[in-house]
Amino acid sequence: MILPRKFRVMRERKRHRSGPFASLFEPYQGDEVVSLDCETTSLDVSEGEILSIGAVRIKGRRVVTSDRLDIKLKPPKSLTGDSIKVHKLRAMDLTEGIEIEEALDQVLEFVGNRPILGYYVNYDIKMIDKFLRSYHGFGLPNKAIELSHVYHDIIKWKYVGGDVDLRFDTIAKKLNLPILERHTALGDAITVALMYVRLKYGEAPG
Amino acid sequence: MPTDFNVDNPPFSLLDKNELAILKNNLDIGYYQKGECLIEAGKPPDGLFVVLKGQVRESEAKEDGADQHVFVHYSDHDYFGAWSALKGKAIHDFVAEEETIAHILPTKVLLELVYSNPRFGDYFSRTLAAKTEIHAEHEGEDQGMAEFMLAQVDGECMRDPLVLLEGTSIKETTMLMREKHVDCVLVRKGGRYGIVTGTDLLNAVVLEEMSRSTDVAEIATYRLISVEAGDYLFNALILMTQQHIERVVVMKDSQLLGIIDLADVLSYFSSHSHVIGLRIERAKTVEDLSAAARGLNDLIRSLLSHGVKARFAMDLISAMNERVMAKLFTLLVPEDLLAHVCLVVMGSEGRGEQIMKTDQDNAVIMRDGLDWPDREPVLQRFTDMLIEFGYPKCPGNIMVSNPYWVQFLGDWTSRMNEWATSCVGEAQMNLAIAVDAKPVAGNPALFKASRNWFLRQLKDNDLFFSHFAKASLEFDTPLTFFGGIKSKGHGLDIKKGGIFPIVHGIRTMALQHRVIETNTFKRVDSLIEMGVLKKEQGRDLVEALSIFIKIRLRQQMMRFDAEDFNESPNIIIIDELDRLDKDLMREALHVVKEFKKSLALKYHLER
Repeated sequence: MILPRKFRVMRERKRHRSGPFASLFEPYQGDEVVSLDCETTSLDVSEGEILSIGAVRIKGRRVVTSDRLDIKLKPPKSLTGDSIKVHKLRAMDLTEGIEIEEALDQVLEFVGNRPILGYYVNYDIKMIDKFLRSYHGFGLPNKAIELSHVYHDIIKWKYVGGDVDLRFDTIAKKLNLPILERHTALGDAITVALMYVRLKYGEAPG
Repeated sequence: MPTDFNVDNPPFSLLDKNELAILKNNLDIGYYQKGECLIEAGKPPDGLFVVLKGQVRESEAKEDGADQHVFVHYSDHDYFGAWSALKGKAIHDFVAEEETIAHILPTKVLLELVYSNPRFGDYFSRTLAAKTEIHAEHEGEDQGMAEFMLAQVDGECMRDPLVLLEGTSIKETTMLMREKHVDCVLVRKGGRYGIVTGTDLLNAVVLEEMSRSTDVAEIATYRLISVEAGDYLFNALILMTQQHIERVVVMKDSQLLGIIDLADVLSYFSSHSHVIGLRIERAKTVEDLSAAARGLNDLIRSLLSHGVKARFAMDLISAMNERVMAKLFTLLVPEDLLAHVCLVVMGSEGRGEQIMKTDQDNAVIMRDGLDWPDREPVLQRFTDMLIEFGYPKCPGNIMVSNPYWVQFLGDWTSRMNEWATSCVGEAQMNLAIAVDAKPVAGNPALFKASRNWFLRQLKDNDLFFSHFAKASLEFDTPLTFFGGIKSKGHGLDIKKGGIFPIVHGIRTMALQHRVIETNTFKRVDSLIEMGVLKKEQGRDLVEALSIFIKIRLRQQMMRFDAEDFNESPNIIIIDELDRLDKDLMREALHVVKEFKKSLALKYHLER
């Protein structure tokens, strides 16, 4: 059954209001955002497996890289040649990894009820939801912030009628930001966090 | 890990693997807009900032409307705020000149690293010393204190312990102590060590009336007070004071390394050079002397790494070099001749302005009519030995092995007169070298006679001074039209660009005003006292010269360590300077430029 995310969250909030995860469903009052990124074996949520999760907190205009999440998971069976080429994560790199269940607990603990920021963030959230739902019976209720939307909203005034190039590398270049360790979950999460801070507090890029 | 943090840059390259992990785990990234304050004067900073991208300026605390003096600009990979973080409060504003992203290392973690890694800490202290120097307008000379604070417990100040086994008698112990010239021994009893000092022995025999065959293990003290190797020597001293003891044991990973004696600590601090000086004095043969002369390089390195001001280091090293030469001269030249000859050192050695052992420039003045037929082999040996000691040959052959520089007093003076009259090319160069001469061995009266005569001769000869001064304008000051440092190709010849103009200009003025000093710093002091040089200008010149010498020396040391002997010692690679040094260098070159202008005016020179 496909329900819009909003309705689904409302329904799950009702259900978990007094459970152990109640605090996750409370509306967020602070000024922090969590930038999150997953590296997966496939871009198709239904067949993808999570390889690693990286997340970092943003407090005001500071990317708090000293407080971060850098999780490597046990290698899934589906780790194939194609995705290895993208992530450069081989099965042997993941032998130290932890189980998905523990990873999810760490993510919930780290993120809490803060808004989640990402580049194509819905994909990452859906990916996590897929596993989260089978363990705890709910998906991430957090507010999602899509970086490319933030970027688009600011940049569109300068490109009336034209299409805005929303590729990751293009955004980084336009914002004049260094890309830190592309294609590691944590590296991408930090870069996205920097982009967000830059967009939110800096002048609109030319 | 947040990457793009270059750990190969000093001071971060000084950290070990674990410390780097701590560093990396604690870094945050901050984003700042143009005009935003990263650190505000008067407030505690967040920590150490390392610029990832952007530019930040360090400027005076702002007062509304007033123009701010900008001290330094920081760009990619530069760091700042350590000083403020360590002090707990910033005295300047640090403001983003453009959009800036910076890594931030929290103060708490910075302090942890400074304490856990003394070398890392020293790095900040050193720049700190340099910075305070600029800001505090040279108040007091507490360099000795810096040396004191930073010296570490290591092989240099530690003695090998004399270890005896249980069962050694008091008599044997006393004999061994006398033989080895030590006044305390360690006694091993089972797995433990105990200490026995001369006083303990005395008390045992005289007061307790024990027999001389008593086992020393019975009178030893087993509660040893120890310090870890690598700890600050200062801490060892505090420990001794607190415990009312005169010796502590040095341990490393629970291994016994040696003993530190209070007397050693004190003499280490009273002057590090003291030891080498004594070795030179005590040398009875050329071989002894050779060993002592070789120790000089280590002395230079240690002085420098402790941040001792170049000017003081130079004084010390020149004095050492002179003692080596004087000693060698007296060892080689027959005793009955010493009163009739005088060894002089010239050029930079004569001025006492070299730190690394540079070319020998020396000469011998003989009493008129002295009969010394076999002088040549003796003086040849002198030159050869100095080369062996590590003083390179003079490329211009201005050495006592060259008969041209071994002259009777009368010939010496008349030749100086000739040079002064022609005053071009080689003659002028020889003269410049010779007027910086300083007697180091033999009979100094011979030298003084020649110098006084020459100074009288030059009196009021304005034409000579005008010619002589000209050389200081020969090379352009390496500054661009916009006042930045100009460096062609791969480096900048600091001797031509900065050192020579100051030294020669001051030399000319000193000759004119009959200043007997040869050292440029002392010449400046005398000229200021006589009212010839303005106080501010004199002080600026002294500072500028110190900066050139210090920077040159640092790069020389680096090349020496890297065994790169191809580069001329006077070449400064601008790109290798850190920001602070670069700024200092630029300021100093501006001082040179101004000085040249005033010389041109004073001696009516066309530029």
